[in-house]
Amino acid sequence: MKSETAIDPKIMEEIIRFNKNVFNAPKLVSAPDEIILEVTPHDVVQEIDKTRLLHYRPLTDKQHKTPLLISYALINRYHILDLQPEKSWVRNLLQQGFDIYMLDWGAPTAMDKYLDFDDYINGYLDSAVEHIKNESSVEKISLQGYCTGATLATAYTTLHPESVKNYIATAPVIDGWRDTTVISNLSKNMDVDKMVKTIGNMPPEFMYYCFSVLKPFEQGIEKYVKFFKNIDNKQFVDNFLRVEKWLSDTPPIPGELFKQWIKDIYQENLLIQNKMYVNNNHIDLKKIDMPIFTQVAVGDHLVSPECSMPLHYAVGSEDKTLRMYPTGHVGMIASSLSQKKVLPELGKWLLERS
Amino acid sequence: MESQPTKETIEYYKHLSLFWTDLIHLMSSKPQALGSTGPMRAFATNSKKVATELIEINENLLEFNKYVTEYYKQLAETWNEAQKKVNLKAPEVPHDVEQIDAFKRIWIDIFDNDFTELFDSKKFGENYGKLVSKELDLTKHWNNITNVILQSANLPSKEEIDEVYKELHSLKKRITKIEIELKKKRDVNKNEK
Repeated sequence: MKSETAIDPKIMEEIIRFNKNVFNAPKLVSAPDEIILEVTPHDVVQEIDKTRLLHYRPLTDKQHKTPLLISYALINRYHILDLQPEKSWVRNLLQQGFDIYMLDWGAPTAMDKYLDFDDYINGYLDSAVEHIKNESSVEKISLQGYCTGATLATAYTTLHPESVKNYIATAPVIDGWRDTTVISNLSKNMDVDKMVKTIGNMPPEFMYYCFSVLKPFEQGIEKYVKFFKNIDNKQFVDNFLRVEKWLSDTPPIPGELFKQWIKDIYQENLLIQNKMYVNNNHIDLKKIDMPIFTQVAVGDHLVSPECSMPLHYAVGSEDKTLRMYPTGHVGMIASSLSQKKVLPELGKWLLERS
Repeated sequence: MESQPTKETIEYYKHLSLFWTDLIHLMSSKPQALGSTGPMRAFATNSKKVATELIEINENLLEFNKYVTEYYKQLAETWNEAQKKVNLKAPEVPHDVEQIDAFKRIWIDIFDNDFTELFDSKKFGENYGKLVSKELDLTKHWNNITNVILQSANLPSKEEIDEVYKELHSLKKRITKIEIELKKKRDVNKNEK
């Protein structure tokens, strides 16, 4: 007699195959530590403290005159914009003939705990812009900010509009009160003064916690199951490991900068209200009067669209474009959608203004 | 809320510890002066500081436990609710690979939605904020104990190192400002020539 609780042989096959894949994984794939994330050749043209200015080597014979500087986020490293050739934001723009620079904020240590908005905006970012202007013999450059890097770039653009020809804000963190993400909820209830006084810089572990509460079961369990199931798929495995390595490379954020960030953006929401000051300089969004292109991802669970879109309506510019894409925070910059839709649209917009 | 007898007990032990460390310090300070350059320097004073910190850590631990219990209670309640929803949506035990995959998808979607709702909620945010704050209080006491040990070994405390960092930061800013002004002057001179 056949038992009603008999297990389908296919299930057993699946379990055996899965276990075999787990066992074979170390023989088939590289350890994340062995993977080098930088793929597009570049030169380091300026180093200040722990920051580096990267200049990517051209991939076309002729380049458009106005160089583009990318101000990457303060969370994790810039590698996500150049993680692998077929999904590289940087490579795509180089292939479209743009001259690309990237500001790598580096990994701050305990001695950097007093670095603040002023150091990042009027120090590192301004030095990078000045360097590019001198090197390229131009009076103005194009500036792109991504995520928290866009908040810095936005503040920079209001303070130094004379240096920015075009401004691209990609998933910018602007209106903290409208942000509906988990990160915003945790930030609003944080005693940031006590945190910085007690531990100095914002520790990477805190960021890991914030990441782990975003889709905890899909990201915490299912993606690893998928990884072992697809262990024979070289392209899948390579992509997975690169993204994982990028995710785990979280530098600390300087204490003072983090404090200002949480207070001014998430708790008091000063930026969008035009009430924010950086070293006594008023950050007035109306001063952004050059062409601006705002890119927002509808499914962004790190910076919600409601948090980014207000920038489009707050700036003083008459030449302004807002684009919304059916993807997530990382999908907007490192996916096939970004290659097929986001970047061609950005390239077209930028070319008309470069 | 912390019960009255517990608070009284803590206060009693705090007083007891301070009384004896103070008394020992008074009794032993003269012969101890002999070791004023070694690691046993100011042993009684340091012991008193460490004892005070340890007692205060206990006070903070009580508060910390309250918030950590609430934290796991919220997680457990959300888990139970999500599991109930899964049971309602997928009452049958899956028998084949396709059914297992479908079940897994439902389970993940419901759990992700419910937990995201929890993490987005005001009650979670507030409790989590208080939990982190208490953790920081514990860290602060640990830092204070470490400082006592560092100073007994003639090493700078965390606060003293912080002062150096602050001074360095301020100096760097001043130098940058001077460099910019010098560059401007040089440019003006160049243009005049």
